[in-house]
Amino acid sequence: MTKLIKYSFLIFACFIEAKPFESTYEPLPSENILIRNANIYDGEGNEFNETDLLIQDRKIVAIGKDLPVGSEFLIIDASNKWVTPGIIDIHSHMGVYPAPGVSTSSDGNEATSPVTADVWAEHSIWVQDPQYALALKGGITAFHILPGSANLIGGRGVTVKNLQRNTINSMKFPDAPHSLKMACGENPKRVYGNRQQAPSTRMGNAAGYRKSWIQAEAYLSRLDEYEAKSEEAKEIGYAPQRDLEMDTLAGVLRGEILVHNHCYRAEEMATMINIANEFNYKITAFHHGVEAYKIADLLAENNICGALWADWWGFKHEAYDMVQANIAIVDQALGGKGCAIVHSDDAIGIQHLNQEASKALAAGLRAGFDISKARAMNWITSNPAKAAGIYDQTGSLKVGKNADVVIWSKNPFSVYALVERVFIDGATAYDRKNNFQPASDFDVGIISPEKNRIEE
Amino acid sequence: MISQSKKVLFLFFIFFNGIINSESILIQNATIYDGKNNNAFVGNVLIDGNKISRVSTANLRGDKIIDATGKILTPGIISTDTGIGIVEIGALSVTRDDSSDLYKIGFSIYDAFNPNSVLIPWNRSNGITSTLTLPQNTDSPIGGLGSFFVLDSNLEITGIKDNVMIGRVGGSGGESRSETFSIMEDLLEFASSIDSKDIESYQDAADFIDDSPIAETMELHPRDLKALYRLINDDLPLIIKANRASDLLKLIKIKEKYDLNLIIMGAQEAGLVANKIAESDVPLIINPINNIPESFDELAANIELAGDLERMGITLMFNAPRSHNYHLIRQGAGVAVANGMSYEGALKAITLSPVEIFNLGDRGQIAQGNIADLIIWDADPLEPSSMPEKVFINGKDIDLTSRMSRLTDRYTKNKDKPNGYRN
Repeated sequence: MTKLIKYSFLIFACFIEAKPFESTYEPLPSENILIRNANIYDGEGNEFNETDLLIQDRKIVAIGKDLPVGSEFLIIDASNKWVTPGIIDIHSHMGVYPAPGVSTSSDGNEATSPVTADVWAEHSIWVQDPQYALALKGGITAFHILPGSANLIGGRGVTVKNLQRNTINSMKFPDAPHSLKMACGENPKRVYGNRQQAPSTRMGNAAGYRKSWIQAEAYLSRLDEYEAKSEEAKEIGYAPQRDLEMDTLAGVLRGEILVHNHCYRAEEMATMINIANEFNYKITAFHHGVEAYKIADLLAENNICGALWADWWGFKHEAYDMVQANIAIVDQALGGKGCAIVHSDDAIGIQHLNQEASKALAAGLRAGFDISKARAMNWITSNPAKAAGIYDQTGSLKVGKNADVVIWSKNPFSVYALVERVFIDGATAYDRKNNFQPASDFDVGIISPEKNRIEE
Repeated sequence: MISQSKKVLFLFFIFFNGIINSESILIQNATIYDGKNNNAFVGNVLIDGNKISRVSTANLRGDKIIDATGKILTPGIISTDTGIGIVEIGALSVTRDDSSDLYKIGFSIYDAFNPNSVLIPWNRSNGITSTLTLPQNTDSPIGGLGSFFVLDSNLEITGIKDNVMIGRVGGSGGESRSETFSIMEDLLEFASSIDSKDIESYQDAADFIDDSPIAETMELHPRDLKALYRLINDDLPLIIKANRASDLLKLIKIKEKYDLNLIIMGAQEAGLVANKIAESDVPLIINPINNIPESFDELAANIELAGDLERMGITLMFNAPRSHNYHLIRQGAGVAVANGMSYEGALKAITLSPVEIFNLGDRGQIAQGNIADLIIWDADPLEPSSMPEKVFINGKDIDLTSRMSRLTDRYTKNKDKPNGYRN
């Protein structure tokens, strides 16, 4: 029986996940490196002082005191400096809303129908967006690009390495699962309500999701029915016609595609959990969640992360009840079982996620929680890695993981800390001291022909 | 200039006379950053009524003593570009009072200010004690009047009415920037021709408009005319939003031709023309954390801008224009310091500089005789994780409770009760 399930899963996987658009990412040339005598937040909630970190063959191979290495290792003295995992942003629109923000490359919302599960953010990405390089200087090594929130179901998101390349495939994070963007509340009902079409209310929103899942269930059962047939029966019959929208939704029902749900209000998040239970899918994270603190325990019980801002608010009614302790309250739910993520949704914010975490931590301490800096570091490293489905590869400085590492000039919870060096897969992607930094084609010769856009 | 500051003093006299504290407050042993770009020193500050009556390293006596040993004391922060008091919720037009379809130049937001806005206790609890609140740009390249407000929550507004005009060049406008400059110059030419007797009565002003092609084309009203008259004759500060280097140079030429009290806001490409800006002594309002080339006007956006401009001797002020995020002005100042600006200079940009540029009266600096708008910080004020421990506005020790702190308490304390029955 187990075998049968496995077998049918494979066929199913072939059918739905034809796996075009696969990652062709190749890392930069790397070295074997010993980062010596650093203060380390490992992204697993630990802090180590005056400790070495060893990188070999693109992986983290050891953390410890006075690690011995051969002469072939590049040794970087990190005395009085801080080392963290590469920072990960679970909510970015870089590439789909690139800079400059002009209509011709504003490609984040397919706002032509409330359900567009068929569109993929990766097909909108402008690889020359100059914002990636700015984020790299903020320590960002990977980020998750989502469609916008105009639609109830906005399409697939994609996780990329923060290495600008000439094709999207070559930026895609290898083996990262696809995601699905869903959105609650004001945005979809405003966009479509203004056109006198559904949804124009929150109850219209809920009906919209449920109708889609009912279709997806039917699609999935037709597929299952087909897959259950004998090989001979398959040969004489017809395979059900593929449907791009249903492919995505069925992928969620199969647990292969992770749901990232834009949702501000507490009761709407609770409603979305009801819908997820009704159709037996999992919500990976609620994004923005300005009211997540009101239902922090419910989120923790359901293993749902809150991907939140430190203090943004007020731009709309559903963002009016902001508290700065939101992230800390979500983190501390059920005695510390919560999953809190600091996200940016913003090309400036993504450059300073460490500062956002610092504000959120300080607010948590003021609210009476006992949270260490080492734990707060998880909010911008391992927790977003888990929500993006790449935690087995990155997000913490565990032995065996990709060497995605940031060296900071000072403690990263200070506004004065600057990123000195960023490694992606053990390769230097940014080096402040040696002025080694990428520039996209957009940056080249655009203000004065002989220079790049920003030259320091 | 003189008439402006006399007016300011008069306003303060009226508003503060009624709320003088009976006992003096001594802030003892604080690390004082005075806001004027001076090095910090450990000293004592005595508050008497609404004023700072002494600042000294010597021992002072006071009725009530606050020990600030190891704590930083700064002037209250002044945010120079906000919608505080005139926009409650960004996306809800019914809560917005920041725009007018009718008046293009003389539109004032002063009477719309809501001292009960939840933004006021929130911003106070973050160390912002007063604000320059600005309307949205109108469809005229110059026009719209901002006002200064003290965030004391008095229903009788404490502030200075219509103390700044705004404008814009480039950016999102659909028309050629050349047309924008032409309209701007035509309006300034027209403004220069207005004599005080032309606007004595409503009818005089209406007649004057009828005789002017640009005033007619722009459908100006007598109210607009009065604002234009003030711009030329009262040295009214004019904040123009502009970013592209060539626009900044053109604005400097216009400033010189019409002898304007010009301030440029945005100024993302100021680094390319910094020597000209320094020469012409134009102050800038920049958002030091914004290094995004958000438009083709802002290609030179750079995180090191604040430090670069400071070294050229340019007077800087900061803003944090993202909706409701005015409290992030401190984070921006911290980022400016991290990227090359001096600490004292960054503090001055959010305290004394706005006072000097916009004639905001005796505040913005910890000095004897000034209004006592003061913050005692729990740690370094330019670390965004820090918060005020005490905020004084007009010498009054302000309760730092905000709607946000109330909601936090609701969901961290008394959790055994249903939330509707918690405090």
